[in-house]
Amino acid sequence: MLTGALAADLAVNGLVTGLFYGLMAIGLALIFGVLRIVNFAHGEFYMVGAYAYTIVAARLGVPLVVALPTAFLFGAALGWVVERTLMRPLYANIGTWGLMRDEYAVIVTFGLSLLLVNLVDKAIGPYAFRAPALVNASRIVVGPALMSGQKVAAAVVTLATLALIALFLRFSYWGRAVRAVSQNRLGASLAGIDATAVSSLVFSLAGGLAGLAGALLSPIINASPDVGAFPAIKSYVIVVLGGMGSIPGAFIASLLLGLVESFGAVLVSYQYRDTFGLVLLILFLLFRPQGLFGERGREV
Amino acid sequence: MRYASHLAIAAFTLSASLIGSAYAADPIKVGVTVTQSPPGSVVQGTQVKDGLEVAAKMLNDQGGVNGRRIELVVEDTQGLPEKARAAVEKLITRDKVVGIVGEHQSSNVLAGMEVAHRYHIPYINTNGWADAIREKGYPEVFNPNNYNRRVAMAAADSIKKLGAKKVVAFAENTDYGIGLAKGIGEQLKAVAPEISYRSDTLDRAAKDYLPAILPLRSDPPDVVVDVMLPPAAYIMMNQVYEQGVAPTAKTWFYDASGLADYPDFWQNIKEAGKDLLVFGLYHPKMKAPELAKTIGDAYTKKTGAQPNRLLYQAADSLLVLADAIKRANSTDPDALVKALEATKYTGTRGEITFSTEPGYKYHQWLDIPYVTFQVNEIGQKVAESPLVEQPGQPLDPSKLARP
Amino acid sequence: MSGDVRLRREFIATVVLLVLLALLPLVTRDVYWLGVLVVSAYFAILASSWNLLAGFTGQFSLAPAAFAMIGAYGAALSAAYYNVPPLLGLLIGTASAGLIGLVLGRIVMRLRGPYLALTTLSFAEIARLVASNSINITRGDLGLPIEAWFNDRVIWFYVFLGALAFVVCGLYLLLRSQAGLFLEAIRDDEIAAARSGVRIVFWKTAAFAISSAAAGFAGALYAYFASLVTPELGLVQQTGLVVSMSVIGGMGSLIGPVVGAFLVYVTSEWLRDVGGWQLVIFAALVIVFARLFRTGLWGLITTALPPRRRAAGKPA
Repeated sequence: MLTGALAADLAVNGLVTGLFYGLMAIGLALIFGVLRIVNFAHGEFYMVGAYAYTIVAARLGVPLVVALPTAFLFGAALGWVVERTLMRPLYANIGTWGLMRDEYAVIVTFGLSLLLVNLVDKAIGPYAFRAPALVNASRIVVGPALMSGQKVAAAVVTLATLALIALFLRFSYWGRAVRAVSQNRLGASLAGIDATAVSSLVFSLAGGLAGLAGALLSPIINASPDVGAFPAIKSYVIVVLGGMGSIPGAFIASLLLGLVESFGAVLVSYQYRDTFGLVLLILFLLFRPQGLFGERGREV
Repeated sequence: MRYASHLAIAAFTLSASLIGSAYAADPIKVGVTVTQSPPGSVVQGTQVKDGLEVAAKMLNDQGGVNGRRIELVVEDTQGLPEKARAAVEKLITRDKVVGIVGEHQSSNVLAGMEVAHRYHIPYINTNGWADAIREKGYPEVFNPNNYNRRVAMAAADSIKKLGAKKVVAFAENTDYGIGLAKGIGEQLKAVAPEISYRSDTLDRAAKDYLPAILPLRSDPPDVVVDVMLPPAAYIMMNQVYEQGVAPTAKTWFYDASGLADYPDFWQNIKEAGKDLLVFGLYHPKMKAPELAKTIGDAYTKKTGAQPNRLLYQAADSLLVLADAIKRANSTDPDALVKALEATKYTGTRGEITFSTEPGYKYHQWLDIPYVTFQVNEIGQKVAESPLVEQPGQPLDPSKLARP
Repeated sequence: MSGDVRLRREFIATVVLLVLLALLPLVTRDVYWLGVLVVSAYFAILASSWNLLAGFTGQFSLAPAAFAMIGAYGAALSAAYYNVPPLLGLLIGTASAGLIGLVLGRIVMRLRGPYLALTTLSFAEIARLVASNSINITRGDLGLPIEAWFNDRVIWFYVFLGALAFVVCGLYLLLRSQAGLFLEAIRDDEIAAARSGVRIVFWKTAAFAISSAAAGFAGALYAYFASLVTPELGLVQQTGLVVSMSVIGGMGSLIGPVVGAFLVYVTSEWLRDVGGWQLVIFAALVIVFARLFRTGLWGLITTALPPRRRAAGKPA
C-alpha cells in the first residue's frame, strides 16, 4: 500500500542516496572515459578518504572544514600514485601484456584492491571507526521527509562539488582537455594535448571524489577496511547504466539507481534490493552496452 | 669437538627446562572463540575476552586449578559460523585444549559445538541464546547463560503489561535474531492472542534500514522491539528515532538485546536512547553474590569500563569449567562432562545448576536472573537508570516515563 | 620450446609435486596441517579451473568462487533435503555449476576485458545474495550443515589430492589436444582465430562450462569436508584469493595455479600466528607479477633454468 506520504519519503531518500552514489561514480566514469578501463580498486579510494577524514577529524581533532578537503587530497594522492606506477603500461606499450591490456587492468586493479584492504586491516585494525558528524542535528525536515542532519550536510556538499566538477569540465582548459582525450585519445594528442598528463589528472580527480564521498558518509557508514566494496559495486552499475564514460549519464543513472532501490525495496523485495542494480547491469551490458547516454560503437 | 659442544648445549637446555618445569607444571589450556573483527560484534567479543581474562587471572592468583595455571588460547571467529567451526577445530586438534568457552553468537555456537561434539570435548556456551543449541541435546554442551525462551517470555509479559495492540520487531538474520523474534511471537500468541505481531529480518551487514522503517511512519505500532546486535542495531535504532517512529508518545522502544550497557552504546546512540525500555541480564542495583563485586571491580580496574552482563557470563563460564576440573581432579573429557552435569556452583550471578530435561532446558541453568530498566537521560549510566522490574518485583507500567 | 613440450614439462612437474605431497602422511599425521593441505588442494582445483578460463582462453571471469559455492549448495541441498548419497551429491553439485556456467558463458560470449569482469562479478554477487537471503531454504548466513562423508583426516587428504590429480590430468588432456590450440588462439587474438576457422562460440562456451563444473566439483567436495556450507564460499574475497594464487603461481601454465595455491595458503596459515601480514604481501606480489612478470613464479623458475637439450631435428 503505497501512500502518497510513503512515496514522497521514498523519493526523497532515494534521490539523496543516489546523489552520494553519484559522487563516487562520476570519478569512475571519468577514468573509463579517458583510460578505457574499469578501476576495480575504486572502492578503496572511498575507503582511504573515509579513514583520512575519521583519523584527522576524530583522532587529531582537526576542524571539519579542514578534514574534508584532507580526505579529498588523500584520495587524489593515492589516485595519482596508482596511475603513475601501475597504469602506464596501458598506453605506453611497456610490460608483457601486449594485446591483453584490458585484462592487465582488471588484474592489477583487483590486486590493488586486495592490497589496500588488507594493508589498512593490518596497519590500522579491522574495527569500524566512528567519525564525528558534520552537523549535530539528529532530525531535519526536508520537504515531506525527515533526515538526519549529517545526511543533509553531506548532500549539500555533494551537490556543490558536482556543480564545481561540471563547471570545470565545461569551461576550464584542463576540463576540456579531459573531454577531448575521452573522445579521441590519438586525436587529442595530435592537437597538442598531453594525454598522459590528462590521465594522471583524471585518476587523481577520481580518487579525490571517491575519497570525499567516503569522508562525507563516514559518520553514517563508519570506516572499516572493507567499507569500499559496497559503494564500489553501485558505482560499476551506475557507470554501465549511464553509459561508459558519460558524465551526465553517470549522474542521471545514480539518481535513478537510488530511486529504483528505494522503491524496489518496499514494493518488490527488501532483502533483494541490492540485486536490482546488478540485474540491470547485466541486462544493459548484454542488450544496450552503451547505456542510457553513451555513444554507440564502443567495442564491448 | 663440535659434537661434544653440541651435546653440552643440549644437556644444558634439557636440564634448564626440567628445572623450569619444576616450578611451573603444565598449564591447563582452555580454548576461547570470540569475535575480534567484523562483520561480527567486536564489542561483544572484547567484553567476553576481557571477562575471561579477569576470571583466569583471579584463578591463577589463587594458585590455579589443581596446582596448574589456566592458559587461555584465543581464536578470532569474525562472527562467522564457518570461522567458528575452523577455530574450534584448530583449538582442539592443534592446541589440544581441555574445553572451549567464550562463544557469544548463537550461529557460531551451533557451528563450533558440532566440532566439539565430534571430538567429545566440553563446550561451555557463554552467550548463545538460541534454543536450538539446547534442543540438539549434545552431552558436551553446557549453558550457564540466558536462553531465548526466557527473553521471549519476559518480553511478551512486558509487552502485554504495556497494553500494546500492534508490535513490530526488527531481528537480525542470525540464529539468535530469527529464533528470538519467532519465540516472542509464539509467547505473545500464548499469553495475549489479541496483539498483532510482525517481525522483519534485517541483514546485519547492511548500513541502511530506511526501506524497512519508512512504512512505519504512516502506520506506527505501539511497541518496536529490537532483536539485533551492534553495529547494525545502532544504525537501526538511530534511523527509527530519526524517522520519528520510536520512542515517541505513541510508540515504545523495547530493547530485547540489552544493548544499553554496552560500552559504546552512548557513543553511537544519542537522543535515540532516551526513554528506552531495556531487557537486562544485569543491573548494578539488582541483588548479586559477593563474587560479582570482586570480578566487577577487577574488570573496571583492567578496562576502565563499568561491568556488564557479558563480563559475568564469561567469568561464570570459565569458573564453572574450573570448578568441574577441580571436582573431577582431572582434565579427561568424560570425567569433565560428568562433573559439569553435577555442578552446584555459586558464580557471579547466583547458584548455577544444569537441568537434564530434554529440549530447550537441556544442560541449561534455568533460573537466570533478569531485569527490565528504563533509560531516562541521554548518556545515563546503567547504574543510575531506574529498575522497573527484577526477580520478585514485577513490571508496573504506571511507573514508566513517556517521551 | 614448442607448446607441447612445455605443456608436458608442466604436467610432469605437477605430477611430481602431487606425488611428493602424497608421501607426506608417512611423515606426519598432524590433523591440523593435513587440514591446511586439504584446503590448499581445494584452492588448487579452483585456481586451475579459473586458469583454464582466464590464463588459457583469456576470459577473465570474477565468478570462480560463486561457482564453487553453487556446487557446494547443489551437493548440500540434495543431501539435506533428499538424503542423496555423497557420490550422487557430488555429481549434482558439479553438474549444476557446469550447467549454470554453460548458460552464463553463452550469455557473456561477446564481452571482453572489464565488461566481462563486471558481468561475472555481478552474477557472482547476485548468486551470493540469493544464497544468503533464501533463509528458508539455505539457512542463509547461518550455514547449511550436512553429514561429513569421511571422518578421517588422512582419508580426506588423499581424496582431495586425488581430485586435484583428476582435474589436472583432465586439463592436460584437454590442452594437449586441438582444443588447447583453439583456446590459446582465442586468447591471443580472437578476431584472427575466428578468421582461421576456430569455432569461437563453441570453444568459449565450452571453456566456461568446464571451468565452472570443475569449480563446482571442488565446492561440492569441500561441502562434504567442512560439513557446513555458507554463502561465504562465494565472497569476492575468495575470488581474490583464487586470482592471486593463479597470478603468483603463473597463469597460462598447468602447474602455476597449483603451486600458487599451496604456496599462498600454506604460508598464510603458517604465518597466521606470527602477525598475519601475508595477505598484504600476496596482494603486493599479485601487482608486482602482473606488472613485471606475467608468467608468474613458474615462469621465473623455468626461465632461470638452463635450456633443455633439444632432441635432434625437433624445433625449439
